[in-house]
Amino acid sequence: MDSQIKAIPEYTQTVEAQELTFAYSTNVGSDVLAVDHVSFSVKKGEYVAILGRNGSGKSTLAKMINLLEYPDSGKYKVFELSANDEENFWTIRSNCGMVFQNPDNQIVGTTVEEDVAFGPENLSVPLPELALRVEKALGYVGLLEHAKKQPSAMSGGQKQRLAIAGVLAMEPELLILDESTSMLDPKARDEFLHLVSRMRQDKHITVLHITHDMHEAFLADRVIVLEKGKLRVEGTPSEVFSQVDLIRELGLELPKWAELLWEVGKLTGHEIPRSAFTSEKEAIKTITEILSERKELSAPPARTARKVPDQVMLRVKNLAHSYDKKEKKTISDISFDLKKGEIVAVIGHSGSGKTTLISHLNGILRPLEGQVEIWDEEEKKYITTDKNTEIKKIRRHVGLLFQYPEYQLFEETVAKDIMFGPKKMGYSEEEAKKLMMESLPLVGLSEDVLERSPFELSGGQKRRVAFAGILAMNPDVLILDEPAAGLDPVGQKEIFGYIETLRDQGKSIVLVSHDMDKAAQIADRILVLKHGRQTFFGTPRELFSEQSDYLSMRLDCPLLMRTMKELKKTFPYADELEFDVERAAESLVFGGREVTDA
Amino acid sequence: MMKDVSIGRYVNGDSVLHKLDPRVKVILFVVYMASIFMARSPVALMATFAVVFFMALLSRINFIEILKSVRPIIFIMAFIFVINIFTIRSGDELWRWKFLVITTGGVENAVLLACRLLLLILATSLLLSLTTTPLKFADALESLGSPLKVLHVPVNEMAMTISIALRFIPTLVEETDKIMKAQSSRGAEYDTGNIFQRAQGYVTVLVPLFVSAFKRAEELAVAMDARCYKGGVGKTKLHPLRMKGSDYLWFVILTVVAFLPLAVDFLWKMK
Repeated sequence: MDSQIKAIPEYTQTVEAQELTFAYSTNVGSDVLAVDHVSFSVKKGEYVAILGRNGSGKSTLAKMINLLEYPDSGKYKVFELSANDEENFWTIRSNCGMVFQNPDNQIVGTTVEEDVAFGPENLSVPLPELALRVEKALGYVGLLEHAKKQPSAMSGGQKQRLAIAGVLAMEPELLILDESTSMLDPKARDEFLHLVSRMRQDKHITVLHITHDMHEAFLADRVIVLEKGKLRVEGTPSEVFSQVDLIRELGLELPKWAELLWEVGKLTGHEIPRSAFTSEKEAIKTITEILSERKELSAPPARTARKVPDQVMLRVKNLAHSYDKKEKKTISDISFDLKKGEIVAVIGHSGSGKTTLISHLNGILRPLEGQVEIWDEEEKKYITTDKNTEIKKIRRHVGLLFQYPEYQLFEETVAKDIMFGPKKMGYSEEEAKKLMMESLPLVGLSEDVLERSPFELSGGQKRRVAFAGILAMNPDVLILDEPAAGLDPVGQKEIFGYIETLRDQGKSIVLVSHDMDKAAQIADRILVLKHGRQTFFGTPRELFSEQSDYLSMRLDCPLLMRTMKELKKTFPYADELEFDVERAAESLVFGGREVTDA
Repeated sequence: MMKDVSIGRYVNGDSVLHKLDPRVKVILFVVYMASIFMARSPVALMATFAVVFFMALLSRINFIEILKSVRPIIFIMAFIFVINIFTIRSGDELWRWKFLVITTGGVENAVLLACRLLLLILATSLLLSLTTTPLKFADALESLGSPLKVLHVPVNEMAMTISIALRFIPTLVEETDKIMKAQSSRGAEYDTGNIFQRAQGYVTVLVPLFVSAFKRAEELAVAMDARCYKGGVGKTKLHPLRMKGSDYLWFVILTVVAFLPLAVDFLWKMK
């Protein structure tokens, strides 16, 4: 086998592809083009981001490069070797490393070091070089002290670093990242990206990065955007993202600073130059120039503040829990309340006790210490979730949707799956059906999915079905654990749209989120957990105000706030505690000036 | 709640038995099995107990920990004991009540079988489950099974399969826990309700678990492809099994020890 892997001759082009096309057949019969006549190239040492909605053909395109998929037509070269030529198969593949989305599903080894060794073992690397490569790779990603451990005991971030080590040990020329950061929390994501940029510097590795995160896209030298298998735009991040309308049409979003820039332009009627989209710094400069001009403006749009009724739906008092009596408490001293039509966001790093806390809210865990009270609208009194309360009674009021809930679908049809919950709650077939029909439009599902199998739907559709399954139980209080995780920007936006509608209809929502910008924007109040302790409970404004010590809670401030704080230095009236882009832009444009009502 | 499920009961350590080449341990296991079944007399049994005691000392594992491995088979032992004591009728009659009869032959046989079973479990635990990681055990089977490659038995692939299965046990256990929580939030019942409701409860867990396991398998296969997996051909190993001098030495020592009880028994009878 060794003879099949040859040394790569000197090259300057990592990928050169012409008219690549890949079709897959559907059960309807007609073929669908996953990749449709795509031509592109990647230079040696370049960092290229591939963007596009889920199902736009990004992964298929990437997998063709290391020959995990073969094009139906089109010619391409990788490392200037013809990829259509079978002779180059192992040479090309052995020089490409790929890190996938799900950390768990790419670890082969029973121990960390065995997993790193897997690639080089397959490449017939002999001892002692093999052991040396493993040690070096583990050292590089900072996992050397975990070498003998079981991978399953590690965090998501560590697992993805392990995957990188496994790739590094193969000493590849090209690193393909297939949404590798999408399941990581912000801290782990930063570490991962830092590691990748270090590898580019030290090892001059070429990177092809499929991502939904626009801040990541800005790290790239060049961006390629796919839509339905076709290459739509290509260029430097600023070239691509300055075409704001097109970007939105393609289902992408802008980084927060670019959104702010765009809004300011819109409010003042300024054309934004392309160069302003190069970086956050450029954007701030441009905004400053625009605002200094002080053009004549019409009045800002009138806004009415949303009123939250005073009825407390859920009250947690001094809640504490430990899984093992001898061990430290997983959570302790948690006290908060949730009002009707209110959103409370729970934030905290992985392992801060978020899952333990929300498990208490619908009776999966009964409180050992402290109390959870739920308002019963019919009987006009509070019920507690202690051992004596019937579980069904609790779950009629509180619905809980766990992270990646599409895994909980099990029935033959979507309709049966959605009705499972309501029927278990004791509703009759007819009532359950009625509840199901009411829940469908709330999550943007149409009736024609009802008789289909949930397993043949797309990821985003499955997520909605699972969501509908909880809504159909008609709870007053919804607990949502990272409801938008892993979806593309459009999918995320839609889910948060549904959440806002539900809130406006009077549902009370506890939202667990990693996304600080989203939490600050959507939540009425925020609960911060750190090592199982509640370190803050109050409005987003209070949390991020000067007086608060959110930094000591090791929280990152929202990205929008970071940009606004910079601008505040020049424009003291800038409201950096406004977490909605439109309103933040309004504070900049209309702040500090007398607006004469026309 | 399911976090403490583990495969085998490996106890970390660096004793002679821990360090011994796993292939030697697999072969020794067969040897001890033979020796235990050849021991028939009380003297031989006593001597075998002494040998197992010697191994327990070698393993340097807490005695209570070792005895715990007997717990799962206590019921089977009791069952075999009772069946034997009442069904075998030879020698003198000791006791009779209606149709139940106990004879000296029955007692002898029952004690012999129970002791053998006990010894067998202790030997297995000491040689394999307590001192050998599942991965090393799979390695040993791969190495010992390699002659079967001539018969086109996919030994490497089988070992890979075993090792991946071991790797995914904790992952699937965690996932089961997660799915159970999600489904019970929707009202699924596992330990309340009637049998039918409970069965339905388990369906709500098993279906998603299978669907996800297949998805995992598919993704893992792609990930293995991406890392150039091509079966056992030309694959090198990070920790190849290598017999050291001490492995040979302990192999001889422990083989001799295994047959000591038979020798003792033989000498006893010669007297």
